[in-house]
Amino acid sequence: MSAAYTVPLFLRGQVITDNLVTFGTRSRGDEFAAPDMSKYVDRLPLATPMEMQDLYELSFDEILDVLERLGEALVLETNPHLQEAFAAACLANPLPVEMLRNSYQILGPLFSRAAVTEMAETQVGLNYLNGWVPQPLADGREIRVRAFGSRVLHIPAGNGGLVSAVTILRSVITRSDVIIKVPSNDPLTAVAIARTLADVAPGHPITKHLVVGYWKGGDLTVEEALYKPENIEKIVAWGGLASVKHVTKYIQPGLELIALDPKRSATIIGAEAFVDEETMREVAARAAVDIGVANQEGCANARVIYVLSGTDADGVENANRLGQMIYDELIALPEFMSTPPLYPNRELFESLESSRLVETFYKVIGGEQREGAIVVSQIDEAVDYSPMLSGRVANIVPVDSIEKVTRAVNAYTQTIGIYPESLKRELRDVLPLFGAQRLTSLGYACNVTVSMPQDAIEPIRRMCKWIVDEECDPDVVIPLWKLGSAGQAAQAAADLVTL
Amino acid sequence: MTQTQAKTPFKPVSPVNSKAEQGSLEQFMDDPIEFFGHSMTQMQTIPRDELEALQKQAIAIRFKQHYEAIPILRKLADRLGITEVAEFDDLAPLLFAHTAFKSYPSALVDNKRFDLMTQWLDTITAHDLSHIDATGCTTIDGWLDLLDRETPLNVITSSGTTGTLSLIPKDKNAATEGMYIWKMYLFQTFGEEPGEAELDPKVDVIWPTFSSGKLGHLRIADMVKNGFTGGDPTKFHALYSDAIDTDLMFLASKMRMAASRGELDRLVIPDELAERKDEFIAMQMRQPDEMQAFFAELSESLKGKRIFMTGAFPIMYDIAKAGLERGISNVFAKDSAILTGGGMKGVALPDNFMEVIQDFLGCDRIQMGYGFSELSAFHFACTEGRYHVQPWVIPILLDPDTSEPLPRDGRQTGRSAGYDLLNKSHWGGVMSGDEVTIDWNFICPCGQTSVAFEADIVRYSDKEGVEDDRITCAATHEVHNEAVNFMKQVEM
Repeated sequence: MSAAYTVPLFLRGQVITDNLVTFGTRSRGDEFAAPDMSKYVDRLPLATPMEMQDLYELSFDEILDVLERLGEALVLETNPHLQEAFAAACLANPLPVEMLRNSYQILGPLFSRAAVTEMAETQVGLNYLNGWVPQPLADGREIRVRAFGSRVLHIPAGNGGLVSAVTILRSVITRSDVIIKVPSNDPLTAVAIARTLADVAPGHPITKHLVVGYWKGGDLTVEEALYKPENIEKIVAWGGLASVKHVTKYIQPGLELIALDPKRSATIIGAEAFVDEETMREVAARAAVDIGVANQEGCANARVIYVLSGTDADGVENANRLGQMIYDELIALPEFMSTPPLYPNRELFESLESSRLVETFYKVIGGEQREGAIVVSQIDEAVDYSPMLSGRVANIVPVDSIEKVTRAVNAYTQTIGIYPESLKRELRDVLPLFGAQRLTSLGYACNVTVSMPQDAIEPIRRMCKWIVDEECDPDVVIPLWKLGSAGQAAQAAADLVTL
Repeated sequence: MTQTQAKTPFKPVSPVNSKAEQGSLEQFMDDPIEFFGHSMTQMQTIPRDELEALQKQAIAIRFKQHYEAIPILRKLADRLGITEVAEFDDLAPLLFAHTAFKSYPSALVDNKRFDLMTQWLDTITAHDLSHIDATGCTTIDGWLDLLDRETPLNVITSSGTTGTLSLIPKDKNAATEGMYIWKMYLFQTFGEEPGEAELDPKVDVIWPTFSSGKLGHLRIADMVKNGFTGGDPTKFHALYSDAIDTDLMFLASKMRMAASRGELDRLVIPDELAERKDEFIAMQMRQPDEMQAFFAELSESLKGKRIFMTGAFPIMYDIAKAGLERGISNVFAKDSAILTGGGMKGVALPDNFMEVIQDFLGCDRIQMGYGFSELSAFHFACTEGRYHVQPWVIPILLDPDTSEPLPRDGRQTGRSAGYDLLNKSHWGGVMSGDEVTIDWNFICPCGQTSVAFEADIVRYSDKEGVEDDRITCAATHEVHNEAVNFMKQVEM
C-alpha cells in the first residue's frame, strides 16, 4: 500500500520530506509517510537556550502583527497547505467532511489582534509577558516578576484543528520555543499553520522557534533522546489516559508535565425545563447541540444528562417527552455541525439494541440506523455503558434530587452544562468539590473560547517560567550581615518571625 | 443417557409429512446424541444438504417455540415484523450480542434487588421464573444458588471491567449433554464407531484452577467431575480447593471501573463481603500450599495415569511452566485426553508455549477447540487444524461493520455468529467478538465432511488494539486477588 499523504518535518522554517517511513492511520487501511525521526531527533531541540534571546527582542505589537498576517492567510479556499491538511484529515479523522471543512474555516479568526490580545491579557497578563511587573512587599523590598517562555514539547489531541491552532498561539504569546508532536488523526493542521507562518514571516524568530513533526508515541529512540531536561522544560500532553501515563515516565526535576488528560462531561437540567412546551423545546434544542456538535467526539460534549424531573410516573414521562424532543432536534442539526457518525461504535450500538428490549428500565429513541439515539433511563441510574457514549448517543437520567447528580461528578468531569442559570449559581460552589471544572449555560458546552482556564488549571501560566527580580535596600530591609548587637538581633529575629 | 448400539442415524428428509419423519426431526433437535448414535464420526459426516434441510426445519420450529417463551425475542421479532424463520439468513437480524446478557442495570445488584434481577432474567430465558421469590437474596451467589435449586437453570456468569456481569441462563441438562459430547470427541477416533471403552471411559480429572464457581469455565467443574470420573469424587484433582466468589468478582470488576475513573474512594464494599474479609484472606494464604500439594500429587500418585485435563491456553501454560520449574515433566499416560483453546485472550505467551505444555503433560495428543460462552457448542479441531462445526450449530458469518450476513459460498472472513439448537433455555442465535474464516465449498482432507472454521481466529478487540472489556478466564485468579488485596487495605 502506498502512503496516502506525507507529514513533513517542519524544522524551524525548513520543510523536510526525506528519509520517509510509513505509518498506519487510525481509520481503515490508509497509510501515511513521515521522515524517520530517529535521524532528526538531535536537531529538534535548540542547541542552547541562548538562542531564545531573539524572542525577547520582539515587541508584543510585532508578535500581534505576525499572528494577524498568519490568520489572514489561513483561508481554506486559497491556502494550499490548509487544503492539503483538510484532505489528509478526511482520511485520518472519523469526522465527516463537512464538519472537518468547518473546523478549518474557524482557524483564521483565532489569530486576530483582538482575540490574541484578549487571550494574552486574561490568561497571563500583557504586563507580565512584556516586562517586569513591580510589587512592593511588606518587609520593604520590591519584587519584579516576569513571565518567561520555556522550551515546550506539545503532544496535542487530534480531535479538530482547533487544538493545533491553540497550541501554536499559546506558544507564541509566551515567547516559547516549541516542538509539536502531531497526532496521527490530525496529521497536517499544525504543519499547515507552520508552513503558512513560514510563508508570511520567513526567517522570523517566531518561525525559527517552531518545530512540527510526527513520530509514533512510544518510539523510544526519539523519546529517550528528546524528553530530557537539557532539551525541554515542559511537556504539554493532551489525550488518552494511556498516552499521558506513558509520558509521565520521563518526568523528573527540570522537566514538568502539564497534563490535559481525558475528560468526560455532564449535563444537568432543572425542573424549570418543564414549565411549558415552549421552554421544553428550547431546552431540547440546547441539549441537542451539546450532544451533537462534532458528533460527540469532544470531551465537552453532553453524554449523561441528569434531569430533575422526579422519578414518579409523571417525572419519567416528562423525561421521555424531553428525550423525544432532544432526539428530534439532534437529527435536525445542520451537517457542518453534526451528522450520523461515519464509524459508529459497534459495541455501543449493540448495548443500545439490548437496552431497547428492556423497556422496564430503558426507553431507546432512535438509533436503528445508527444515526444517533437518546436512551432515557426509567430509573435514576445512568446506563452501565455510559463511558462509551459517542457518535450522538446520550442518556437521559431522571432524578429526584441533586445529590444523585453530585455523586456522578468526579475529577474526570470537565464541563457541566446546566439549565437554568439559577440552578447553576446554586451548584457552582458545590460541584467543584467533586471535581467539576467548567460550568456553562446549557447549549454552550462545545462553544468554547480559549480565553479561560482549562481543566481547572491555567495552562498558559503553567507554560511560563515565573521569574523574580527582587531589590532590597539595606536601609529598609534588615541586612543580616549587619546584625552585630544583641538588641538588633532580637529585633531582626522578631521581624523575621513576622515573615 | 442410555448407550445403545449405533443405529441408522438419520433418514432422508424431504418435506415432513409422516409421523416417523417428524420424530426424527424432533430427535435431531432435542437429542442429537441419540440421533447420531453416540458417534462423532456420524456427527461429522452427515451430507451437507441433508443436514441443512434438517437445520432449516429445526430453526423454524425452535423460533416458534422461543417466540412464545422468550419475551425479548418476541419483542425483537415483533419490532422487526418477523413472524417466521425459514432460511439461515433470516436469523441474522435476530442474533443477540453479548450485551443482551448484561442489559440489566447493575444498580439492581448494588441495591440487592434480586427480585427485579429475576424478572429481568425471566425475559431472556425460555423457562418460567415467575414463581421464584428472590426478595430474601442478598448476594449474587445466594441468588444464583436459589435459581440452581428451584429452576432447571445453571446460570453462568462472565465478568467485565465495565462494572457489569453477563448472566447467561444455561440448562442443567444441556451442560450434562455438553460433557457427554466432549467425551465423544476426546475418546472416539474419527472413522471408527465407538465401543464401550470409548463411550464411557473413567479417568482422573486434572482441574488446573478453582474447584467451583458460577463463571462459565468453573461451572463445568461439576460436570467434568461427574462425567469423566464415573462419579468418583476422589478422581477429581483441583489446583485450589476453594470456589471463586461471584460477588467478589463483581466487586473486582467495579473496582477496575472505579480506578479508571479516579473514584476508588467512592467504591462501597457490601457488608456481605466485608464480613468475609478474613475468609478471603485465608483463602489467598492457602493457595501457595495448595499449589505445592497439587504438584506433589501429580508427580507422585498421578504419574503415568490416563487423565483428562482442560483449560484455556494461558492456564495450561502457567501450570506447565510451574511444573517444569519444579522438575516435573512427561507426567501423564500417552492416551490421556487434553482439551484446550480459547485464543490468547490478550495474554502474551512465548512462541513455544505449546511445546512447554506438551513437555509437561507428556501426552500424544492435545485436542483444541473453539467456542464462545453465549453459544454452548464447542467445535473440535481436526488433524488439519480446522474446527469442524457441530451439526446442531448453524454458523453465520457477518460483515463486521454492517452485521449483514456474508454469502454462504466461497471463502469468507467475518464476525463469527451462529445458531445453536441445543440452547433450549435461551435463544440460540448469538454473535461473538471473533473474526473467523469459513470456506463454504471446501471439504477438509481430514475426512470430516462438515463445514469448518479455519485455524486463524482472532478477537476483533485484539486486532483493533481496543481494550477488551472482559476479564478473561485466564485473569480470574489475578482479578480475584486484586479484590482481596483491595479489601485488605480498607478499614472495615
